[in-house]
Amino acid sequence: MTNLKDLLAHEVVVGLTEGQFSAEEYVISILKRIEEVESKVHSFITLDSEGALSSAKILDKKLREKEEIGQLAGVVVGIKDNISTQGIRTTCASRILEKYVPTYDATVIKNLKENGAIILGKLNLDEFGMGSTTEYSRYQPTHNPWNLDYVPGGSSGGSGAAVAAGECTVALGSDTGGSIRCPSSFCSVVGLKPTYGRVSRYGLISYANSLEQIGPICRSVKDLVMMLNIISGKDRMDSTSMSSSPITVSNKSNNLNVAIIKELITDSDPEVTKSVYGASEKFREIGCSCEEVSINNLNYALPSYYTLASAEASSNLARYDNLRYGFDYPIEEYKWETYFSNVRESFGEEVKRRILIGSYVLSSGYYGKYYLKARRLRSLLRLELLTLFKKYDLLIGPTMPILPFKFGEKIDDPIKMYLVDINTVLANLAGIPAISLPIGFSNGLPIGLQIMAAPFEEQKLLDASYELEKVINIQRVPNSI
Amino acid sequence: MKNNMISKEDLEHLAQISRINLTENELEKFPKQLDKTIEYIDILKELALDDSVKLDLPELRFEELRKDEINMSDDMRLSKNITEDGFLRGPKMK
Repeated sequence: MTNLKDLLAHEVVVGLTEGQFSAEEYVISILKRIEEVESKVHSFITLDSEGALSSAKILDKKLREKEEIGQLAGVVVGIKDNISTQGIRTTCASRILEKYVPTYDATVIKNLKENGAIILGKLNLDEFGMGSTTEYSRYQPTHNPWNLDYVPGGSSGGSGAAVAAGECTVALGSDTGGSIRCPSSFCSVVGLKPTYGRVSRYGLISYANSLEQIGPICRSVKDLVMMLNIISGKDRMDSTSMSSSPITVSNKSNNLNVAIIKELITDSDPEVTKSVYGASEKFREIGCSCEEVSINNLNYALPSYYTLASAEASSNLARYDNLRYGFDYPIEEYKWETYFSNVRESFGEEVKRRILIGSYVLSSGYYGKYYLKARRLRSLLRLELLTLFKKYDLLIGPTMPILPFKFGEKIDDPIKMYLVDINTVLANLAGIPAISLPIGFSNGLPIGLQIMAAPFEEQKLLDASYELEKVINIQRVPNSI
Repeated sequence: MKNNMISKEDLEHLAQISRINLTENELEKFPKQLDKTIEYIDILKELALDDSVKLDLPELRFEELRKDEINMSDDMRLSKNITEDGFLRGPKMK
């Protein structure tokens, strides 16, 4: 039998229901794996072994007593540390929230628990989700399980690395400008940013509300569908959430019209381009058509994204005054304003830069020049994509324009770091679903394909991904760490 | 680009309205980094977009807002004997 720790989520549920092993045995196998690799990968900020074991025991008791156990029974989930978990510290990898223990669960966590999933702990990220490598975490950076000298991508780098390293069955991440897809691509796992509104954001600590979504990161498309179905749906706590039909897993992606976005290929690393063209051939093999298209205003997407994300961040992060939650910092001898500014000195450099840029683009004289322009450009891009989706079912391109890179390569040049997101921000600006699917390696470093679909057309997206995954059959877990 | 340069004084003003103290090191290196970012987003000025392009995203509709009804919180601690005269009782100040 396969080693317990290597099981996929759907195999865990079957194995547990059929009595092949207990939930406790499975959780122990994962904890053993963590013991082996965590000192090299550094995926976790907070590991709740005790909580996970006690949930497993409760589940085993339910199984013995033949009670309902839920569709994700026994699946061990790692959670990005910007999603609120009742009773488990939620830090956003920031000093300003280092002692914050939420008193409630995010809706996605509530849904997971109700379906028998086991919450294992909180995973590393760039502070407040701002970054593409986890180097901006106030803890230590996470390492890429495929090559420990390389970054795992970000900002959900802990989630991508933990899933690839077998430290949890599946994980949740959040994606504001590519934060689920980037680490999925760099770590050779599957990650989805759902349509804006498909998944409730209640309990997700805000960075840029109009752009972000919570989504799953998994080792197979089938697992991803299971997770997505559980976390999707209308939630009374998030007025932007919407009801949607559940996704089914099936082979029905024949005859889809697929188009490669030319601009996403042009400036990519040649190895990445080669892999994407290879994947487009595979689309033809499974009966889809595949041609090239152009998007007119694509070169304005990234500047527009950074304008809007920073503006929203500067407003969202204004709430951190260290009074309601924060770290110990005596209030004596300070006036209100100085106290406020002093404690906020503890934000990391990237967070500060984005707050400052946000204040800049929102200030009088610049508001129309940057912020409003960016909003209008965003509308234009969405319109252009909606028109393209009348002709094509799916749009594809590389998730990342480059291969994973080494630590420190981009840390001192914010623009270089921002350019990493150039292919992914489009889906956030337009509010459409986008997946990153592993399609190959170059010198042992993973390459991901990005597939995008029209709003709420996840079924088409996942049908194609499911079939492509079978045809391409890429390794998901590194041989050794 | 020159007219966009962020001076140390500009930076201090931005930091003040953002309520953030900057370290000496940040005061030194941020002006150049922020300049580069602003230079990068400045490409937006090439776009001739007027009011005919709407600010709200096309075809993005949300379902009806829920009714504003009072519901008990899911949090058990809030429902367990901590109300007094219709108010919630908080922990004692030390």
